[in-house]
Amino acid sequence: MSVIGEVRVRVPGGIARGSVARARTLIIHPNERVERKDGKSVDKNYRFVNRVVVSYLGRDIAEFDTSTSIGENPSFGFAFRATESGTLKVTAFDTHGGRFEGAAEVKLA
Amino acid sequence: MAQNAVTRREVFTGAAAAALAVAWPHAKARAQGFLANLAPEEPVEKSLQRLFGSRPIKDGSQVITLDLPLIAEDGGNVAVSVEVKSPMTPQSYVKTIYVLSDKNPRPLSAKFNLMPACGQAYVAANLRLADTGDVRAVAEMQDGALLMVKRSVRVVVPGCAA
Repeated sequence: MSVIGEVRVRVPGGIARGSVARARTLIIHPNERVERKDGKSVDKNYRFVNRVVVSYLGRDIAEFDTSTSIGENPSFGFAFRATESGTLKVTAFDTHGGRFEGAAEVKLA
Repeated sequence: MAQNAVTRREVFTGAAAAALAVAWPHAKARAQGFLANLAPEEPVEKSLQRLFGSRPIKDGSQVITLDLPLIAEDGGNVAVSVEVKSPMTPQSYVKTIYVLSDKNPRPLSAKFNLMPACGQAYVAANLRLADTGDVRAVAEMQDGALLMVKRSVRVVVPGCAA
């Protein structure tokens, strides 16, 4: 996949100050599944996203520990309380040492 | 002469330790995908016991909304969302939401750690489901109370999840 590690973040527009908004993020990543051979798992260094950190206005608000049980191109939804206009950032880490970032600007109505 | 040799050895061990310290974090980060670093293969009851020990898990059907399709055409990509009706204040909030898939070899699919700044205990993800069976959501409150709901999903084409 040519764009492995691209992180897209989507937030609704015109959020009222202090209200709770829902955002979605999409990580372009193969998120490898564990292979099986003769009924047993094959041991190798699978490449999958194992940690996702969400930060808003520079502060971490949520952290997800993920596994191979998340589909290809992991997509997550979460909520945040929109107190100020600012950056909502998502950082994803994978098992091969990859670190991928994506962000969206939160604009209050 | 003897003193010289000791000094040289010290220099070498020092250099080796320094090299290891530089190489190690990288090596560790690169090796996280091996089976030993994944959750163990186990039935879901064992996962629950491993995660929560003997702590009581209450029925959360009054407060947790677990949204899943009734029939998942593609087990490799099943939308799941969990919403817990709870205040999100520093005094009382949902600390963690666990999503477990009963029929997957490694049932713990994801663990969502939340903060009061989330404003609402809501998470969504795209799951891989190995087979038709239950999907559970467990909410852990900041005081340690546990609530669980489960729902059955029919999987048409297995996602060969792990």
